[in-house]
Amino acid sequence: MPLLELKDVRTEIRLKRSTVHALDGVNLSIEAGQTLGVVGESGCGKTMTAMSIMRLLPNGGAVTGGEILLEGRDLLPLSDAEMAKVRGNDIGMIFQDPMTSLNPTMSVGRQISESVRIHKGYDKKQAHERAVEMLSFVGMPSPQRRALDYPHQLSGGMRQRAMIAMALANEPKLLIADEPTTALDVTVQKQILGLIDSIKERLGMAVILVTHDLGVIAGRADKIAVMYAGRVVETTNTETLYANPRHPYTEALFDSLPERGAESGTKLYSIPGLPPDLTKPPAGCRFAARCRYAQPSCREQDPQLTGETSEHQYACFFPVGEVERSAKAVPVTLTEETSAEAIPQSRIGEPLLTVRNLVKEYPITAGAVLRRKIGAVSAVADVSFTIYQGETLGLVGESGCGKTTVGKLLVGLEDATGGEIGYGGRDLAADRHARGAVRREIQLMFQDSYAAMNPRMRVRSVLREPLDIQKVGDKASRDKRIAELFDQVGLPRTALERYPHEFSGGQRQRVGLARALTLAPKLIVADEPVSALDVSIQSQVLNLMKDLQVEFGLSYLFISHDLSVVRYLSDRIGVMYLGKLVEIGPAESVYANPVHHYTRGLLDTIPVADPAVEKAKEDKGIVGELPSAIDPPSGCRFRTRCPAAQSLCAEQEPPLVEFGTNGHLAACHFPLRRFDGDAGEPAAVGEVVLPSQPDAIDDATESATA
Amino acid sequence: MTAYIVRRTLQAVLTVILVSIITFGLLHLLPGGMVRGLLGTHANPQSIAQLSAQMGLNRPLFMQYLSWFGNFLHGDFGWDYFKQQSVGSLIQGTIGQSMYIVGLSLVLSVLISIPIGVLQAVRRNTLLDHTLTFVSFVLWGIPTFLIAFLMLDLFVDQLGWIPTSNEIASFHDALTQPQAIILPVACLTLTSFAGYSRYLRSSVLDELTQEYVRTAIAKGAGRRRVLYGHVLRNAMIPMITLIGLSLPALVGGAVIIENVFNIQGIGLLTTQAALTNDFGVTLAITMLTAALTVLGSLIADLSYAILDPRVRLD
Amino acid sequence: MTTTPEEVLSPEPTSVELGLESVEKPRSMFRRGWEVFAENKLALAALVFLVAFILLCYLGPMFYHGNGTQSDMEAVTLPPGAGHPLGTDENGADVLAQFFKGGQLSLNVGVLGGVISAVIGTLYGAISGYFGGWLDAVMMRVIDALMSIPLIFLLIYLGMIWGHDATLMIWVIGLTGWVGITRLIRGESMVIKVRDYVAAARMMGGSGPHIIRKHILPNTIGTTIVNTTFSIAGSIFYLSTLSFIGLGLESPHADLGGMLNDGTQFVDQGYWWMIYPAAIAIILVILAFNVIGDALRDAFETRLQKR
Repeated sequence: MPLLELKDVRTEIRLKRSTVHALDGVNLSIEAGQTLGVVGESGCGKTMTAMSIMRLLPNGGAVTGGEILLEGRDLLPLSDAEMAKVRGNDIGMIFQDPMTSLNPTMSVGRQISESVRIHKGYDKKQAHERAVEMLSFVGMPSPQRRALDYPHQLSGGMRQRAMIAMALANEPKLLIADEPTTALDVTVQKQILGLIDSIKERLGMAVILVTHDLGVIAGRADKIAVMYAGRVVETTNTETLYANPRHPYTEALFDSLPERGAESGTKLYSIPGLPPDLTKPPAGCRFAARCRYAQPSCREQDPQLTGETSEHQYACFFPVGEVERSAKAVPVTLTEETSAEAIPQSRIGEPLLTVRNLVKEYPITAGAVLRRKIGAVSAVADVSFTIYQGETLGLVGESGCGKTTVGKLLVGLEDATGGEIGYGGRDLAADRHARGAVRREIQLMFQDSYAAMNPRMRVRSVLREPLDIQKVGDKASRDKRIAELFDQVGLPRTALERYPHEFSGGQRQRVGLARALTLAPKLIVADEPVSALDVSIQSQVLNLMKDLQVEFGLSYLFISHDLSVVRYLSDRIGVMYLGKLVEIGPAESVYANPVHHYTRGLLDTIPVADPAVEKAKEDKGIVGELPSAIDPPSGCRFRTRCPAAQSLCAEQEPPLVEFGTNGHLAACHFPLRRFDGDAGEPAAVGEVVLPSQPDAIDDATESATA
Repeated sequence: MTAYIVRRTLQAVLTVILVSIITFGLLHLLPGGMVRGLLGTHANPQSIAQLSAQMGLNRPLFMQYLSWFGNFLHGDFGWDYFKQQSVGSLIQGTIGQSMYIVGLSLVLSVLISIPIGVLQAVRRNTLLDHTLTFVSFVLWGIPTFLIAFLMLDLFVDQLGWIPTSNEIASFHDALTQPQAIILPVACLTLTSFAGYSRYLRSSVLDELTQEYVRTAIAKGAGRRRVLYGHVLRNAMIPMITLIGLSLPALVGGAVIIENVFNIQGIGLLTTQAALTNDFGVTLAITMLTAALTVLGSLIADLSYAILDPRVRLD
Repeated sequence: MTTTPEEVLSPEPTSVELGLESVEKPRSMFRRGWEVFAENKLALAALVFLVAFILLCYLGPMFYHGNGTQSDMEAVTLPPGAGHPLGTDENGADVLAQFFKGGQLSLNVGVLGGVISAVIGTLYGAISGYFGGWLDAVMMRVIDALMSIPLIFLLIYLGMIWGHDATLMIWVIGLTGWVGITRLIRGESMVIKVRDYVAAARMMGGSGPHIIRKHILPNTIGTTIVNTTFSIAGSIFYLSTLSFIGLGLESPHADLGGMLNDGTQFVDQGYWWMIYPAAIAIILVILAFNVIGDALRDAFETRLQKR
C-alpha cells in the first residue's frame, strides 16, 4: 500500500463570477521513504495539489471529488479538528518563502515548540528542549541561542532550517516541500536540498518536492509527476522521464531548457501560446492547442493517464519517444525534432564600453540625530571589464554580488563612488554632460516589465515616453516608430491600445524589449529579463533577444543568476562575488574550464536538468552563506567559503590575471588550473590543479608574518 | 532600539516646537494687532500698554517668540482680561475633568472595539458583520454634537432616565457624579470606537492572509490557536499607533461633548473664550492640548517599539 | 492547429500564438471601477439620495417661494401646515426655505472645502514623498505638528477671526483639512517612486515634475478621489459642528448646522420641525458621502487586485 495516494482528486476555487477548476482528476502515489517530484509551470496545479492534501486551500477553494488516502485512510471526509491532528503530525509542510512563512513576532523556538505542544501535549519546558534539539538536528549553529531569536534576526537559509525543524518536530511520515528553495540563493539552495535528503534518510520519511525547476528535481526525486493545466500528464521514475519523455509537453519543456540549446548550438524550442484558462478548461487534451503533434481527435477526446507499463504513465494519444515494453528504462537520446535552426551569430566588433576600477559604496549611517557615517556597503568593488560591439556579456553571481548594481551604474540609475565608465571617448561616471548625451544609447531592460510600466498608461504611451522625454521627432514620427517596434518584437499593432496588465508575462517582456529599443540604443543592459518567466515562455524571449541583436548589431550586458540562461545567450561571461569580478572569459572557456573556485562551486551548485549529472555531483558546491558586504573579508573576498583558501588569501587581494590567450581572466591565488595557451580543452570535472608556485606562496606568507 | 527611542523623542520635541511656531503665527493673524486681539474688546489702554511692554513688541519677532514660548514652558499661559484670572488657573480648574472623560472614553472604546473588530473579522461577510459595519459606519459619520444632542433628548428629556440638572464644574464633580458623566462618556465612546473596530477588522483580515497563518495551520494549530496565538497579537500591535494618531480627534470630540452636556472642561472654556473673543485662552489651550497629544503619540510609538520585536531588536 | 517547428520559431508570432485574443477588450479603469461600484446597492442608494438632495436644495427655491429670512411676528413657531410645509421658526421665518438655503450652504462649503483640502493634500504628499530626504523630513514634521493640534481648535480659532462668512469658511476648512490625505498620498508616492517604471523614466532623462505629473499623480488618483469624497463629508461635518457651537454660519444665512443651533434652543418646547429635518439631512448627507467614498475605495482596490 502506498503511503499516500491521490485518486481522481478534483479541486475547485470559487471566484466571484467563475470557478477555477484548479485540479481536475489528479492521480498520484508515493511510497514510504520515496521522494516524489511534482513539476510544472506556474498555474499547472502543483501547489494546489500540495494544498489539497493539507486542506490549506485559499478562500473559496475545496476538494470536490476523489480520494486522498494516507496509509489507506481517506483524508477528505475528516472533520477540521481531525484534519488538524494529521497536519504537522503525520504530514509536515514547508513553504517557499521562510521569511513570510514564519510569525514575525514570535521567537523561532516558540514556533517550533508549538508543534509539539499541539500534538504531543508537551509542557513549555519539554517543548522548548525539543525545539532546541530539532534546531541542532537541522544543522542550525548554536541552537540554544537561535531558539530565542526572531525570524528577522536569522539569514534566509537559517530561516528555512527553522521551518524544516518546525515541520519535522513530530517526525511526520511525509514532508511536503512547496518550492522550498525558490526564495533562496543557489548556494543555500543546495544546502537546504541536501538537508532535506539527509533527514529523509535518517527519519525514513517520504518527501513530496514541488518545484518549477527541472534541475532541482533531477538529482533529488526518485519519481516525478509532470503537471499541466490541473492534471498529471506524465509520471515515472526520474531517470526514465529525463531519458525518454513520452508526453509532448514534457518533451517540449526539456527542449525549452537553455542548457539544451547551448549544448547543441541551436535555437531554443518555445511552446506557442499560453496554458488554457482553467475557469473554462477545453474539452479533449488540454495541451492540444499548443502541441506540435496534435491531431483533430486530440481536441475532442480526453486522453487518460496510462502507458505500456504501470511504471511509466502519460496522458497522450500520440506519445513521443520510445515505446517501453518492460519496467526497465530504455536509454534514449534527445528527440530529433527539437530545433534545427542554428543560433544566429552576431558580428563582434570594437570595444563599445570600457569599465575601469568601478566602485559603488552605500554609506551606512548611525546615530539618532546627526547621521554619521559608520561604514559602507561595498556593492561594487574595483570592477573592470569591456563590452564589445555586437556581443553579449553575461554577468552571473548570487544575489547581493553586485551584478545588478553594475547594471544600474552603467545606465545611470546610480552614481558611481569611483572608477570610470568609458563610452565614446568620454567618462560617464564623472561627466554628467556625457551621461545626458548617451542616455539614448544605453538602455535597461527590467526583470519585471510589469513593474517597469506605469499601470495607468496604455502601452502606446509607455513606448512613446522615452521619445517624448528625449523630444525625438514629431508626434507622427513617434507613432510610426512605435508601430514599427511592435512589429519587430512580434506583437500586433492593435495591442498598442491595451494596458500592461492585459498582457501575459512573456508578452510584457516583449513590450519591455520594445521600449528599450525605442531610442535605437547601442547597448542594452538586461537585468534578469527572463527570471520571472516559465521555461517555455522564457525561450521565446531569449530567441527574440538573439534575433534583434543580430538585426540591429546590439550589445547586451545580460545579468542573471541563472547560469544556463547566461550560457545560452552570452559570448563572454563575467562571474561576480561580493562586489568583485572574480572571473571573466569566453563563455565556453568559463563553463568548461573555470579557474576560480567560486565559479567551479557555482557550476557544481546550480542544479542541472539531467539526473546523471546531478547524481554524479556528490558533496560539492559552496559551503556557508554569503558574508556581509558591510565589512567584507580581507584579501580575497571568497576565502571564507573557499576550499583552497590559505593565509595568503586573507592578506593579499588576488589581481585579475590572464589564464589563457583567449582573454580568460581570473582573480585567484590558488587557481584551479594554470595559464593555458589552449583554453579550449576542458579540464576533467572536479580536477583541482594545485597552486602553481608553492614556493612563492610560502615566501609571501613568510614575508607577511615577518 | 535606543537610537529609535532617542530619535522619536527628539522628533516629538521638534513637533512641539513647530506647534508653538504655528500657534505664535496664529497670534499674528489677529485683527488689529496681537495685543489688541489678545486682550479682546474689554481691554483698557492701560493694559494694552502694559502688555505691549511685557511682550516686548519692539523687539525682533524671534525674541518675542522666545519669551512667549519660554513663558509657556514655565506654565505662564497669560492673563484672561475678560475673566480677570490667569489662564493657567482657568486651565487648571478645567483640564482634570476633560482628561478624565477623554481617558475613560479612550479606554472604553478600545475595549469595545477589540471584541467587535475580531468578531467581524472572524464572521466576515455575514449578516452580523454587515450590520456591525453599518452601525459603526453611521456612528463614525454622524457629527458628535448630533449624537450628543440626540442622546440628551432621548435619555434626559424623553425617557427621563438621567436627571436634567447635572453640571460638572470640577474634577471632583466628575468623580462623584457618575450619572452625570455616563452620557458624555457614552457619546465619545460611540463616536470613537468605530475607527478602532474598523481598523482591527481589516487588520485581522490582513493578518489572516499572511503566510505564517498557513504555516500555523500546517503544523496542526486549530482555529482558536491561530487566532489568539498568532493573529490577534500581530493585528493589535499596529493599532497602538492608530490610538496615538486618534488622540487629537478624541480631544476634538470632547470639546463638542462638553458644550452639549455643559461640562466645565477645557472644551467649554475654549468655546466660551472664542465667543467672547478671548484669543489668548484659545491659543494657550490649543498649544497645551497639542503638546499633550504629541506626548500621547510618543508614548504610543514607544510602546509599539517595545511590543514589536522587529523594532525592539533592531 | 498544426504548426511546424519553423513556424513556431519565426520571430513574428501571430497574435493567436501569443494568446492575445483571449484578452478582453481594453476598458478604462474608471469603467471597471464603476462596475464594482454599481454592485454596491447601498452606495447606489447613497448616490441617488445625494443627487435628489442636491436637486431639492438648488431647484426647490424655484418652485417654493417661502421666506426664510424675514421675520413675521404674526406667525412664530408655527407647526408644519398649509403655507409652511415645515413650519416657521421663532421669528416666523419659513423653515423649508431656510432648509433649502442651509442645504446649499452646507454643500457649497463642504464640496469646495473638501476639494481644496484634497488638492493641497495630494500635491503636498506627492512632493514630500517623491523628493524625500531633507525636504520630506521638514515637510513631515510640519504635518506632525498640524496633526497634533486637534482640528477643532484650529477651526474655532480661525472661525473667530474670519468666521460667519461662507466664503471664508470654505478656506478655513480647506486650509485645515488636508493633513490626513497628505499622509496617505505621501505613503503611496514613496511606494511608487521605487517602482521600476519611475526608474525607467528617470533613466530616459525624465525630470522630477515630469515624473510626479505622469507617474505619481495618475497612480494616486484613486486615493485622491476616494479621499476627496471623505474630505467633503468631513467638511460638512466640521462646518455643521462649528455652526452648532455658534462659531460658524449663523441665522439667517445659516447652514444646516446653524439651523440646529437655532432649533435646539427650543427642544424643551417640542418644536421638532426646527430640529429634526436639518438633523436628519446632515446625518444622511454625511453618511451618503462616506458610503460613496467607501464604495469607491472598494472599486479602486478591486482594480488593483486584478493587476
